[in-house]
Amino acid sequence: MIALGAIVAAGLVTALSVRDAVALDLVFTLLLYAVLGQSWNWISGYAGNISFGHAIFFGCGAYASALMVTHGLSPWLAIPAGAVAAAALAIVTGFPTLALRGHYFSIATIAVAAIVDALVRTQPWLGRATGFELPIASGWAALQFADKGPYIVLALVLFTAVQIATIALERSRLGYYLRALRANHAAAAAVGIDERSWKLLAFAWSAVIASCAGVLYAQYTLFVDPPSTIALGVSIDIALIGVVGGIGTLWGPAVGALVYVVLAKGVALELGGTGKGYDLVIYGAIICVIAALRPHGIVGAIVDGLRRRRGALELGAASATGGAA
Amino acid sequence: MTAAAVPLLEVRGLVKRFGALRALDGVDLDVAAGTLTGLIGPNGAGKTTAFACIAGAERPTAGSIRFRAAEIAGMPASRVTRAGIGRTYQIVQTFADMTVLEATTTGALLHHPRLNEAVARAEEVLEFVGLADKRQRLGRALTIADKKRLEVARALATEPDLLLLDEVMAGLTPAECGAAVELLRRTLARGITILMVEHVMEVLMPIADHIVVIAAGKTLFRGSAAEAVRDAAVVEAYLGAPPAGDGAEAGR
Repeated sequence: MIALGAIVAAGLVTALSVRDAVALDLVFTLLLYAVLGQSWNWISGYAGNISFGHAIFFGCGAYASALMVTHGLSPWLAIPAGAVAAAALAIVTGFPTLALRGHYFSIATIAVAAIVDALVRTQPWLGRATGFELPIASGWAALQFADKGPYIVLALVLFTAVQIATIALERSRLGYYLRALRANHAAAAAVGIDERSWKLLAFAWSAVIASCAGVLYAQYTLFVDPPSTIALGVSIDIALIGVVGGIGTLWGPAVGALVYVVLAKGVALELGGTGKGYDLVIYGAIICVIAALRPHGIVGAIVDGLRRRRGALELGAASATGGAA
Repeated sequence: MTAAAVPLLEVRGLVKRFGALRALDGVDLDVAAGTLTGLIGPNGAGKTTAFACIAGAERPTAGSIRFRAAEIAGMPASRVTRAGIGRTYQIVQTFADMTVLEATTTGALLHHPRLNEAVARAEEVLEFVGLADKRQRLGRALTIADKKRLEVARALATEPDLLLLDEVMAGLTPAECGAAVELLRRTLARGITILMVEHVMEVLMPIADHIVVIAAGKTLFRGSAAEAVRDAAVVEAYLGAPPAGDGAEAGR
Protein backbone atom coordinates (compact mmCIF):
# COMPACT_ATOMS: atom_id res chain seq x y z
CA MET A 1 0.00 0.00 0.00
CA ILE A 2 2.86 2.38 0.86
CA ALA A 3 4.65 1.41 -2.33
CA LEU A 4 1.48 1.99 -4.32
CA GLY A 5 1.02 5.45 -2.78
CA ALA A 6 4.63 6.37 -3.58
CA ILE A 7 4.23 5.29 -7.20
CA VAL A 8 1.00 7.25 -7.59
CA ALA A 9 2.63 10.36 -6.11
CA ALA A 10 5.69 10.00 -8.35
CA GLY A 11 3.44 9.46 -11.36
CA LEU A 12 1.36 12.53 -10.63
CA VAL A 13 4.47 14.67 -10.20
CA THR A 14 5.75 13.34 -13.52
CA ALA A 15 2.45 14.04 -15.25
CA LEU A 16 2.37 17.62 -13.97
CA SER A 17 6.01 18.66 -14.20
CA VAL A 18 7.82 16.69 -16.91
CA ARG A 19 7.44 18.12 -20.40
CA ASP A 20 9.80 15.80 -22.23
CA ALA A 21 7.60 13.80 -24.60
CA VAL A 22 10.00 10.85 -24.81
CA ALA A 23 10.21 10.51 -21.02
CA LEU A 24 6.43 10.76 -20.68
CA ASP A 25 6.01 8.13 -23.37
CA LEU A 26 8.28 5.79 -21.41
CA VAL A 27 6.27 6.37 -18.21
CA PHE A 28 3.02 5.70 -20.04
CA THR A 29 4.42 2.51 -21.59
CA LEU A 30 5.74 1.41 -18.21
CA LEU A 31 2.32 1.77 -16.56
CA LEU A 32 0.52 0.14 -19.49
CA TYR A 33 2.85 -2.87 -19.48
CA ALA A 34 2.63 -3.14 -15.70
CA VAL A 35 -1.16 -3.44 -16.09
CA LEU A 36 -0.83 -5.99 -18.91
CA GLY A 37 1.72 -7.97 -16.90
CA GLN A 38 -0.64 -8.00 -13.90
CA SER A 39 -3.51 -9.11 -16.12
CA TRP A 40 -1.36 -12.03 -17.32
CA ASN A 41 -0.28 -12.70 -13.73
CA TRP A 42 -3.87 -13.41 -12.62
CA ILE A 43 -4.23 -16.49 -14.76
CA SER A 44 -0.60 -17.43 -15.43
CA GLY A 45 0.97 -16.39 -12.13
CA TYR A 46 -1.60 -16.98 -9.42
CA ALA A 47 -3.45 -19.80 -11.20
CA GLY A 48 -0.39 -21.21 -12.98
CA ASN A 49 -1.86 -21.55 -16.50
CA ILE A 50 0.60 -19.89 -18.86
CA SER A 51 -1.13 -17.77 -21.51
CA PHE A 52 0.68 -17.06 -24.78
CA GLY A 53 -2.24 -15.22 -26.31
CA HIS A 54 -2.84 -12.35 -23.94
CA ALA A 55 -2.49 -9.76 -26.70
CA ILE A 56 -5.90 -10.71 -28.08
CA PHE A 57 -7.58 -9.45 -24.89
CA PHE A 58 -5.53 -6.26 -25.15
CA GLY A 59 -6.70 -6.18 -28.79
CA CYS A 60 -10.36 -6.50 -27.73
CA GLY A 61 -10.10 -3.17 -25.94
CA ALA A 62 -8.04 -1.48 -28.65
CA TYR A 63 -10.36 -2.62 -31.44
CA ALA A 64 -13.48 -1.80 -29.41
CA SER A 65 -12.11 1.71 -29.05
CA ALA A 66 -11.28 2.00 -32.75
CA LEU A 67 -14.72 0.71 -33.78
CA MET A 68 -16.59 3.00 -31.39
CA VAL A 69 -14.71 6.12 -32.45
CA THR A 70 -14.80 5.42 -36.20
CA HIS A 71 -18.55 4.83 -35.91
CA GLY A 72 -19.04 8.15 -34.16
CA LEU A 73 -19.71 6.62 -30.73
CA SER A 74 -18.14 7.51 -27.41
CA PRO A 75 -14.83 5.75 -26.70
CA TRP A 76 -16.02 5.32 -23.11
CA LEU A 77 -18.40 2.66 -24.47
CA ALA A 78 -15.34 0.70 -25.58
CA ILE A 79 -14.54 -0.07 -21.93
CA PRO A 80 -17.64 -2.27 -21.34
CA ALA A 81 -17.78 -3.50 -24.96
CA GLY A 82 -14.12 -4.57 -24.98
CA ALA A 83 -14.51 -6.14 -21.54
CA VAL A 84 -17.47 -8.26 -22.65
CA ALA A 85 -15.68 -9.38 -25.83
CA ALA A 86 -12.48 -10.20 -23.92
CA ALA A 87 -14.30 -12.14 -21.19
CA ALA A 88 -16.28 -14.09 -23.81
CA LEU A 89 -13.09 -14.96 -25.69
CA ALA A 90 -11.44 -16.04 -22.43
CA ILE A 91 -14.35 -18.29 -21.51
CA VAL A 92 -14.44 -19.89 -24.97
CA THR A 93 -10.69 -20.56 -24.79
CA GLY A 94 -10.60 -21.60 -21.16
CA PHE A 95 -13.71 -23.74 -20.74
CA PRO A 96 -12.41 -26.82 -22.57
CA THR A 97 -8.75 -26.41 -21.56
CA LEU A 98 -8.34 -24.86 -18.09
CA ALA A 99 -8.96 -28.07 -16.15
CA LEU A 100 -6.70 -30.23 -18.36
CA ARG A 101 -3.28 -31.36 -17.19
CA GLY A 102 -0.29 -30.60 -19.37
CA HIS A 103 0.19 -27.74 -21.77
CA TYR A 104 -3.18 -27.80 -23.53
CA PHE A 105 -4.22 -24.43 -22.17
CA SER A 106 -1.04 -22.70 -23.37
CA ILE A 107 -1.39 -24.30 -26.79
CA ALA A 108 -5.06 -23.28 -26.96
CA THR A 109 -4.17 -19.65 -26.20
CA ILE A 110 -1.66 -19.65 -29.07
CA ALA A 111 -4.21 -21.25 -31.41
CA VAL A 112 -7.02 -18.87 -30.53
CA ALA A 113 -4.67 -15.89 -30.83
CA ALA A 114 -3.60 -17.08 -34.29
CA ILE A 115 -7.23 -17.50 -35.35
CA VAL A 116 -8.17 -14.04 -34.09
CA ASP A 117 -5.14 -12.52 -35.82
CA ALA A 118 -6.01 -14.22 -39.13
CA LEU A 119 -9.67 -13.22 -38.79
CA VAL A 120 -8.91 -9.58 -38.11
CA ARG A 121 -6.56 -9.39 -41.09
CA THR A 122 -9.30 -10.58 -43.45
CA GLN A 123 -12.38 -8.81 -42.10
CA PRO A 124 -13.10 -5.42 -43.71
CA TRP A 125 -15.13 -4.23 -40.71
CA LEU A 126 -12.10 -4.91 -38.49
CA GLY A 127 -9.82 -2.87 -40.73
CA ARG A 128 -7.99 -5.84 -42.21
CA ALA A 129 -4.18 -5.71 -42.02
CA THR A 130 -4.04 -1.91 -42.27
CA GLY A 131 -6.04 -1.29 -39.12
CA PHE A 132 -7.61 1.97 -38.01
CA GLU A 133 -6.48 5.54 -37.62
CA LEU A 134 -8.67 7.20 -35.03
CA PRO A 135 -10.04 10.65 -35.96
CA ILE A 136 -8.44 13.36 -33.89
CA ALA A 137 -10.52 15.02 -31.19
CA SER A 138 -9.88 16.49 -27.77
CA GLY A 139 -11.29 16.45 -24.25
CA TRP A 140 -12.56 13.98 -21.69
CA ALA A 141 -15.71 13.07 -23.67
CA ALA A 142 -13.56 11.97 -26.61
CA LEU A 143 -10.92 10.48 -24.27
CA GLN A 144 -8.20 12.20 -26.27
CA PHE A 145 -5.75 14.84 -25.20
CA ALA A 146 -3.22 17.03 -26.98
CA ASP A 147 -1.02 16.75 -23.88
CA LYS A 148 0.47 13.54 -22.49
CA GLY A 149 -0.31 14.56 -18.89
CA PRO A 150 -3.92 13.30 -18.78
CA TYR A 151 -2.87 10.00 -20.35
CA ILE A 152 -0.35 9.49 -17.56
CA VAL A 153 -3.10 10.25 -15.04
CA LEU A 154 -5.45 7.74 -16.70
CA ALA A 155 -2.71 5.10 -16.84
CA LEU A 156 -2.00 5.73 -13.15
CA VAL A 157 -5.70 5.35 -12.31
CA LEU A 158 -5.83 2.05 -14.21
CA PHE A 159 -2.57 0.80 -12.69
CA THR A 160 -3.71 1.72 -9.17
CA ALA A 161 -7.11 0.10 -9.64
CA VAL A 162 -5.51 -3.11 -10.93
CA GLN A 163 -2.96 -3.21 -8.07
CA ILE A 164 -5.76 -2.72 -5.52
CA ALA A 165 -7.82 -5.42 -7.26
CA THR A 166 -4.81 -7.73 -7.04
CA ILE A 167 -4.35 -7.02 -3.33
CA ALA A 168 -8.05 -7.89 -2.95
CA LEU A 169 -7.46 -11.06 -4.99
CA GLU A 170 -4.64 -12.15 -2.68
CA ARG A 171 -6.97 -11.71 0.30
CA SER A 172 -9.95 -13.44 -1.25
CA ARG A 173 -11.32 -16.93 -1.66
CA LEU A 174 -10.47 -16.77 -5.38
CA GLY A 175 -6.84 -15.90 -4.65
CA TYR A 176 -6.42 -18.74 -2.13
CA TYR A 177 -8.11 -21.20 -4.46
CA LEU A 178 -5.92 -20.24 -7.43
CA ARG A 179 -2.75 -20.71 -5.38
CA ALA A 180 -4.04 -24.04 -4.09
CA LEU A 181 -4.85 -25.22 -7.63
CA ARG A 182 -1.43 -24.13 -8.87
CA ALA A 183 0.33 -25.94 -6.02
CA ASN A 184 -1.58 -29.24 -6.12
CA HIS A 185 -4.75 -29.83 -8.10
CA ALA A 186 -5.57 -33.16 -6.41
CA ALA A 187 -5.32 -31.68 -2.93
CA ALA A 188 -7.31 -28.67 -4.12
CA ALA A 189 -10.14 -30.93 -5.33
CA ALA A 190 -10.06 -32.66 -1.95
CA VAL A 191 -10.92 -29.39 -0.21
CA GLY A 192 -13.87 -28.87 -2.55
CA ILE A 193 -12.38 -26.56 -5.20
CA ASP A 194 -13.85 -26.94 -8.68
CA GLU A 195 -10.85 -26.19 -10.88
CA ARG A 196 -12.64 -25.14 -14.04
CA SER A 197 -15.09 -22.64 -12.61
CA TRP A 198 -12.57 -20.80 -10.40
CA LYS A 199 -9.95 -20.63 -13.14
CA LEU A 200 -12.54 -19.41 -15.65
CA LEU A 201 -13.43 -16.63 -13.26
CA ALA A 202 -9.77 -15.63 -12.94
CA PHE A 203 -9.20 -15.86 -16.71
CA ALA A 204 -12.25 -13.70 -17.47
CA TRP A 205 -11.08 -11.00 -15.03
CA SER A 206 -7.59 -11.23 -16.47
CA ALA A 207 -9.01 -10.65 -19.97
CA VAL A 208 -11.11 -7.70 -18.79
CA ILE A 209 -8.04 -6.01 -17.27
CA ALA A 210 -6.07 -6.43 -20.51
CA SER A 211 -9.00 -5.05 -22.50
CA CYS A 212 -9.09 -1.88 -20.36
CA ALA A 213 -5.40 -1.39 -21.12
CA GLY A 214 -6.23 -1.85 -24.81
CA VAL A 215 -8.80 0.99 -24.75
CA LEU A 216 -6.30 3.34 -23.14
CA TYR A 217 -3.60 2.32 -25.62
CA ALA A 218 -5.84 2.99 -28.64
CA GLN A 219 -6.84 6.39 -27.30
CA TYR A 220 -3.17 7.20 -26.71
CA THR A 221 -1.63 6.11 -30.02
CA LEU A 222 -4.79 6.77 -32.11
CA PHE A 223 -3.66 3.92 -34.31
CA VAL A 224 -4.72 0.27 -34.05
CA ASP A 225 -3.46 -2.51 -36.30
CA PRO A 226 -2.74 -6.24 -35.81
CA PRO A 227 1.08 -6.10 -35.29
CA SER A 228 0.83 -3.47 -32.54
CA THR A 229 -2.04 -5.07 -30.62
CA ILE A 230 -2.92 -8.71 -31.25
CA ALA A 231 0.24 -10.22 -32.80
CA LEU A 232 2.05 -13.11 -31.12
CA GLY A 233 5.04 -10.85 -30.38
CA VAL A 234 2.88 -8.67 -28.13
CA SER A 235 1.61 -11.76 -26.30
CA ILE A 236 5.17 -12.91 -25.70
CA ASP A 237 6.24 -9.48 -24.43
CA ILE A 238 3.37 -9.61 -21.91
CA ALA A 239 4.32 -13.11 -20.77
CA LEU A 240 8.01 -12.19 -20.44
CA ILE A 241 7.15 -9.19 -18.27
CA GLY A 242 5.24 -11.48 -15.95
CA VAL A 243 8.03 -14.07 -15.79
CA VAL A 244 10.91 -11.62 -15.31
CA GLY A 245 9.27 -9.75 -12.45
CA GLY A 246 8.08 -12.82 -10.62
CA ILE A 247 4.96 -14.84 -11.27
CA GLY A 248 2.22 -14.91 -8.69
CA THR A 249 3.47 -11.83 -6.84
CA LEU A 250 1.80 -8.44 -6.38
CA TRP A 251 4.76 -6.34 -7.57
CA GLY A 252 6.31 -8.78 -10.03
CA PRO A 253 4.57 -7.38 -13.13
CA ALA A 254 5.50 -3.78 -12.26
CA VAL A 255 9.16 -4.79 -11.77
CA GLY A 256 9.04 -6.82 -14.99
CA ALA A 257 7.56 -3.85 -16.86
CA LEU A 258 10.33 -1.61 -15.51
CA VAL A 259 13.02 -4.01 -16.69
CA TYR A 260 11.28 -4.31 -20.06
CA VAL A 261 10.86 -0.57 -20.61
CA VAL A 262 14.36 0.32 -19.45
CA LEU A 263 15.97 -2.35 -21.61
CA ALA A 264 13.76 -2.92 -24.60
CA LYS A 265 12.75 0.71 -25.05
CA GLY A 266 15.41 2.67 -23.15
CA VAL A 267 18.37 0.86 -24.66
CA ALA A 268 16.78 1.00 -28.09
CA LEU A 269 16.40 4.76 -27.72
CA GLU A 270 20.02 5.20 -26.65
CA LEU A 271 21.56 2.91 -29.22
CA GLY A 272 18.94 3.57 -31.85
CA GLY A 273 19.87 2.55 -35.37
CA THR A 274 23.51 2.10 -34.38
CA GLY A 275 22.63 -0.50 -31.78
CA LYS A 276 21.96 -3.23 -34.31
CA GLY A 277 19.64 -5.05 -31.92
CA TYR A 278 21.97 -4.97 -28.88
CA ASP A 279 18.93 -4.07 -26.78
CA LEU A 280 17.25 -7.36 -27.67
CA VAL A 281 20.48 -9.25 -27.01
CA ILE A 282 20.80 -7.70 -23.54
CA TYR A 283 17.12 -8.23 -22.76
CA GLY A 284 17.28 -11.83 -23.96
CA ALA A 285 20.39 -12.48 -21.87
CA ILE A 286 18.69 -11.13 -18.74
CA ILE A 287 15.68 -13.37 -19.31
CA CYS A 288 17.98 -16.39 -19.68
CA VAL A 289 19.82 -15.52 -16.45
CA ILE A 290 16.58 -15.08 -14.52
CA ALA A 291 15.06 -18.27 -15.91
CA ALA A 292 18.18 -20.23 -14.98
CA LEU A 293 18.93 -18.76 -11.55
CA ARG A 294 15.70 -17.32 -10.20
CA PRO A 295 12.73 -19.08 -11.82
CA HIS A 296 10.39 -17.27 -9.44
CA GLY A 297 11.52 -13.95 -10.90
CA ILE A 298 12.98 -10.90 -9.21
CA VAL A 299 10.17 -10.36 -6.69
CA GLY A 300 9.90 -14.11 -6.07
CA ALA A 301 13.58 -14.23 -5.11
CA ILE A 302 13.09 -11.34 -2.66
CA VAL A 303 10.05 -13.03 -1.08
CA ASP A 304 12.00 -16.28 -0.63
CA GLY A 305 14.85 -14.35 0.99
CA LEU A 306 12.48 -12.68 3.47
CA ARG A 307 10.86 -16.00 4.33
CA ARG A 308 14.23 -17.60 5.00
CA ARG A 309 15.09 -14.72 7.31
CA ARG A 310 11.83 -15.16 9.22
CA GLY A 311 12.58 -18.86 9.61
CA ALA A 312 9.45 -20.09 7.85
CA LEU A 313 11.53 -22.71 6.09
CA GLU A 314 13.35 -24.05 9.14
CA LEU A 315 12.23 -27.21 10.83
CA GLY A 316 11.00 -26.67 14.36
CA ALA A 317 13.02 -27.83 17.36
CA ALA A 318 9.93 -29.48 18.87
CA SER A 319 9.19 -31.66 15.85
CA ALA A 320 12.88 -32.51 15.47
CA THR A 321 12.98 -34.00 18.98
CA GLY A 322 9.67 -35.73 18.27
CA GLY A 323 11.28 -37.36 15.24
CA ALA A 324 14.25 -38.53 17.33
CA ALA A 325 12.06 -40.10 20.03
CA MET B 1 -26.37 -57.45 11.71
CA THR B 2 -29.00 -55.53 13.59
CA ALA B 3 -31.76 -53.59 11.90
CA ALA B 4 -29.88 -50.34 12.45
CA ALA B 5 -30.60 -47.03 10.74
CA VAL B 6 -29.19 -46.41 7.25
CA PRO B 7 -25.40 -46.18 7.55
CA LEU B 8 -23.67 -42.86 6.82
CA LEU B 9 -21.72 -44.51 4.01
CA GLU B 10 -22.94 -47.57 2.18
CA VAL B 11 -20.82 -49.15 -0.58
CA ARG B 12 -22.24 -52.02 -2.62
CA GLY B 13 -20.65 -54.08 -5.39
CA LEU B 14 -17.90 -51.56 -6.08
CA VAL B 15 -15.89 -52.50 -9.18
CA LYS B 16 -12.94 -50.63 -10.64
CA ARG B 17 -11.12 -51.90 -13.69
CA PHE B 18 -7.88 -50.46 -15.07
CA GLY B 19 -7.84 -52.05 -18.51
CA ALA B 20 -7.78 -55.79 -17.93
CA LEU B 21 -6.92 -55.43 -14.24
CA ARG B 22 -9.82 -55.66 -11.83
CA ALA B 23 -8.46 -53.58 -8.95
CA LEU B 24 -11.83 -53.79 -7.20
CA ASP B 25 -14.08 -56.73 -7.87
CA GLY B 26 -17.13 -56.24 -5.68
CA VAL B 27 -16.35 -54.33 -2.50
CA ASP B 28 -19.13 -53.92 0.07
CA LEU B 29 -18.74 -51.83 3.17
CA ASP B 30 -20.83 -49.84 5.64
CA VAL B 31 -19.74 -47.03 7.90
CA ALA B 32 -22.13 -46.23 10.72
CA ALA B 33 -22.37 -42.59 11.82
CA GLY B 34 -20.13 -41.67 14.73
CA THR B 35 -17.88 -44.73 14.50
CA LEU B 36 -14.34 -45.44 13.42
CA THR B 37 -14.15 -48.11 10.74
CA GLY B 38 -10.83 -49.63 9.74
CA LEU B 39 -10.23 -50.80 6.19
CA ILE B 40 -7.45 -53.36 6.04
CA GLY B 41 -6.09 -55.89 3.62
CA PRO B 42 -2.85 -57.24 2.18
CA ASN B 43 -0.75 -55.10 -0.16
CA GLY B 44 -2.48 -54.64 -3.50
CA ALA B 45 -5.89 -55.59 -2.10
CA GLY B 46 -7.44 -52.38 -3.45
CA LYS B 47 -7.74 -50.30 -0.28
CA THR B 48 -6.41 -47.10 -1.79
CA THR B 49 -8.42 -47.63 -4.99
CA ALA B 50 -11.59 -48.07 -2.92
CA PHE B 51 -10.73 -44.81 -1.14
CA ALA B 52 -10.11 -43.03 -4.42
CA CYS B 53 -13.52 -44.16 -5.74
CA ILE B 54 -15.34 -43.04 -2.59
CA ALA B 55 -13.54 -39.67 -2.61
CA GLY B 56 -14.24 -39.10 -6.32
CA ALA B 57 -10.60 -39.16 -7.41
CA GLU B 58 -11.34 -42.27 -9.49
CA ARG B 59 -14.55 -43.10 -11.32
CA PRO B 60 -15.84 -46.56 -10.36
CA THR B 61 -16.56 -48.96 -13.22
CA ALA B 62 -19.67 -50.28 -11.48
CA GLY B 63 -21.36 -50.36 -8.10
CA SER B 64 -23.03 -47.95 -5.77
CA ILE B 65 -21.65 -45.52 -3.19
CA ARG B 66 -24.34 -43.94 -1.06
CA PHE B 67 -23.51 -41.16 1.37
CA ARG B 68 -26.40 -40.14 3.67
CA ALA B 69 -28.56 -42.28 1.35
CA ALA B 70 -27.63 -40.21 -1.73
CA GLU B 71 -25.71 -41.74 -4.62
CA ILE B 72 -22.24 -40.20 -5.02
CA ALA B 73 -20.53 -42.77 -7.26
CA GLY B 74 -18.83 -41.00 -10.17
CA MET B 75 -19.07 -37.50 -8.69
CA PRO B 76 -15.93 -35.37 -9.10
CA ALA B 77 -13.77 -35.04 -5.98
CA SER B 78 -14.64 -31.40 -5.38
CA ARG B 79 -18.37 -32.22 -5.21
CA VAL B 80 -17.79 -35.20 -2.92
CA THR B 81 -15.97 -32.85 -0.54
CA ARG B 82 -18.83 -30.36 -0.71
CA ALA B 83 -21.23 -33.22 0.10
CA GLY B 84 -19.36 -33.68 3.40
CA ILE B 85 -16.50 -36.15 2.89
CA GLY B 86 -12.98 -35.00 3.74
CA ARG B 87 -9.86 -36.98 2.93
CA THR B 88 -6.11 -37.26 3.38
CA TYR B 89 -3.68 -38.86 0.94
CA GLN B 90 -1.42 -41.83 1.54
CA ILE B 91 1.36 -39.85 -0.13
CA VAL B 92 1.09 -36.44 1.49
CA GLN B 93 -0.18 -33.75 -0.90
CA THR B 94 0.74 -30.33 0.41
CA PHE B 95 0.24 -26.86 -1.02
CA ALA B 96 4.03 -26.41 -1.06
CA ASP B 97 4.16 -22.62 -1.19
CA MET B 98 1.47 -22.02 1.41
CA THR B 99 1.98 -21.65 5.11
CA VAL B 100 0.24 -24.09 7.47
CA LEU B 101 -2.34 -21.43 8.25
CA GLU B 102 -2.95 -20.58 4.58
CA ALA B 103 -3.38 -24.23 3.61
CA THR B 104 -5.85 -24.82 6.42
CA THR B 105 -7.66 -21.59 5.57
CA THR B 106 -8.08 -22.87 2.00
CA GLY B 107 -10.04 -25.78 3.45
CA ALA B 108 -12.10 -23.53 5.72
CA LEU B 109 -13.10 -21.29 2.79
CA LEU B 110 -15.46 -24.04 1.61
CA HIS B 111 -18.04 -23.13 4.24
CA HIS B 112 -16.73 -19.69 5.21
CA PRO B 113 -16.29 -17.71 1.97
CA ARG B 114 -15.19 -14.56 3.83
CA LEU B 115 -11.44 -14.73 4.40
CA ASN B 116 -11.38 -13.40 7.98
CA GLU B 117 -13.98 -15.96 9.06
CA ALA B 118 -12.09 -18.73 7.27
CA VAL B 119 -8.83 -17.71 8.97
CA ALA B 120 -10.53 -17.74 12.37
CA ARG B 121 -11.94 -21.19 11.66
CA ALA B 122 -8.51 -22.41 10.47
CA GLU B 123 -6.89 -21.12 13.69
CA GLU B 124 -9.39 -23.19 15.70
CA VAL B 125 -8.65 -26.31 13.66
CA LEU B 126 -4.88 -25.83 14.01
CA GLU B 127 -5.34 -25.49 17.75
CA PHE B 128 -7.37 -28.71 17.70
CA VAL B 129 -4.77 -30.75 15.78
CA GLY B 130 -1.83 -29.20 17.64
CA LEU B 131 -0.21 -27.24 14.82
CA ALA B 132 -1.05 -23.76 16.09
CA ASP B 133 2.57 -22.93 16.95
CA LYS B 134 3.68 -23.80 13.41
CA ARG B 135 1.01 -21.79 11.62
CA GLN B 136 3.52 -19.60 9.77
CA ARG B 137 5.69 -22.50 8.52
CA LEU B 138 5.60 -23.46 4.89
CA GLY B 139 3.94 -26.81 4.22
CA ARG B 140 7.04 -28.16 2.49
CA ALA B 141 9.22 -27.41 5.54
CA LEU B 142 7.31 -29.66 7.95
CA THR B 143 8.30 -33.10 9.26
CA ILE B 144 6.39 -36.12 7.93
CA ALA B 145 4.33 -36.31 11.12
CA ASP B 146 3.41 -32.63 10.90
CA LYS B 147 2.64 -32.88 7.18
CA LYS B 148 0.16 -35.67 7.95
CA ARG B 149 -1.28 -33.55 10.75
CA LEU B 150 -1.63 -30.67 8.29
CA GLU B 151 -3.51 -32.95 5.89
CA VAL B 152 -5.92 -33.83 8.67
CA ALA B 153 -6.26 -30.14 9.58
CA ARG B 154 -6.99 -29.16 5.99
CA ALA B 155 -9.63 -31.90 5.69
CA LEU B 156 -11.19 -31.02 9.06
CA ALA B 157 -11.37 -27.37 8.00
CA THR B 158 -13.86 -28.34 5.29
CA GLU B 159 -16.12 -29.49 8.17
CA PRO B 160 -16.74 -33.02 6.93
CA ASP B 161 -19.21 -35.51 8.39
CA LEU B 162 -17.02 -38.36 7.20
CA LEU B 163 -13.23 -38.29 7.22
CA LEU B 164 -11.28 -40.69 5.00
CA LEU B 165 -7.76 -41.26 6.31
CA ASP B 166 -5.30 -43.15 4.11
CA GLU B 167 -2.43 -44.54 6.22
CA VAL B 168 -1.99 -41.51 8.44
CA MET B 169 0.22 -43.53 10.79
CA ALA B 170 2.62 -44.83 8.14
CA GLY B 171 6.16 -43.62 8.70
CA LEU B 172 5.46 -42.26 12.18
CA THR B 173 7.47 -43.09 15.30
CA PRO B 174 5.59 -44.86 18.14
CA ALA B 175 5.39 -41.57 20.05
CA GLU B 176 3.95 -39.78 17.02
CA CYS B 177 1.49 -42.65 16.49
CA GLY B 178 0.27 -42.25 20.06
CA ALA B 179 -0.35 -38.55 19.46
CA ALA B 180 -2.17 -39.33 16.22
CA VAL B 181 -4.44 -41.88 17.94
CA GLU B 182 -5.27 -39.31 20.56
CA LEU B 183 -6.17 -36.85 17.78
CA LEU B 184 -8.45 -39.47 16.18
CA ARG B 185 -10.25 -40.02 19.50
CA ARG B 186 -10.86 -36.29 19.86
CA THR B 187 -12.07 -36.10 16.25
CA LEU B 188 -14.58 -38.88 16.95
CA ALA B 189 -15.68 -37.07 20.08
CA ARG B 190 -16.61 -34.12 17.86
CA GLY B 191 -19.10 -36.36 16.08
CA ILE B 192 -17.01 -36.86 12.94
CA THR B 193 -17.17 -40.36 11.49
CA ILE B 194 -13.87 -41.90 10.35
CA LEU B 195 -13.03 -44.51 7.75
CA MET B 196 -9.33 -45.29 7.73
CA VAL B 197 -6.93 -47.48 5.81
CA GLU B 198 -4.18 -48.62 8.11
CA HIS B 199 -1.29 -51.04 8.11
CA VAL B 200 -0.28 -50.68 11.74
CA MET B 201 -2.65 -53.27 13.23
CA GLU B 202 -1.71 -52.72 16.87
CA VAL B 203 -2.78 -49.11 16.41
CA LEU B 204 -6.02 -49.83 14.61
CA MET B 205 -7.38 -52.77 16.65
CA PRO B 206 -8.01 -50.92 19.94
CA ILE B 207 -9.69 -47.86 18.36
CA ALA B 208 -11.71 -49.37 15.50
CA ASP B 209 -15.40 -50.01 16.19
CA HIS B 210 -15.64 -51.99 13.01
CA ILE B 211 -13.21 -53.70 10.64
CA VAL B 212 -13.59 -54.32 6.92
CA VAL B 213 -11.05 -56.66 5.33
CA ILE B 214 -10.60 -56.66 1.59
CA ALA B 215 -8.39 -59.01 -0.40
CA ALA B 216 -7.92 -59.26 -4.16
CA GLY B 217 -10.51 -56.53 -4.69
CA LYS B 218 -13.31 -58.24 -2.73
CA THR B 219 -14.75 -57.75 0.72
CA LEU B 220 -13.62 -60.72 2.78
CA PHE B 221 -14.83 -59.84 6.22
CA ARG B 222 -16.93 -57.30 8.08
CA GLY B 223 -17.17 -57.24 11.87
CA SER B 224 -15.41 -56.27 15.08
CA ALA B 225 -11.64 -56.19 15.45
CA ALA B 226 -11.72 -59.11 17.90
CA GLU B 227 -13.66 -61.23 15.42
CA ALA B 228 -11.33 -60.28 12.57
CA VAL B 229 -8.21 -61.74 14.17
CA ARG B 230 -10.06 -65.03 14.81
CA ASP B 231 -11.56 -65.27 11.31
CA ALA B 232 -9.94 -68.06 9.30
CA ALA B 233 -10.38 -66.33 5.93
CA VAL B 234 -8.76 -63.13 7.22
CA VAL B 235 -5.82 -64.99 8.69
CA GLU B 236 -5.40 -66.87 5.44
CA ALA B 237 -5.46 -63.72 3.37
CA TYR B 238 -2.71 -62.22 5.48
CA LEU B 239 -0.55 -65.25 6.22
CA GLY B 240 -1.39 -67.63 3.40
CA ALA B 241 -3.25 -70.96 3.60
CA PRO B 242 -2.10 -73.33 6.32
CA PRO B 243 -0.08 -76.22 4.96
CA ALA B 244 -1.89 -79.49 4.26
CA GLY B 245 -2.66 -81.44 7.44
CA ASP B 246 -2.75 -79.41 10.64
CA GLY B 247 0.81 -78.23 11.04
CA ALA B 248 -0.29 -74.63 11.52
CA GLU B 249 2.99 -73.47 13.00
CA ALA B 250 4.58 -70.19 12.08
CA GLY B 251 5.66 -71.17 8.60
CA ARG B 252 6.69 -67.59 7.84
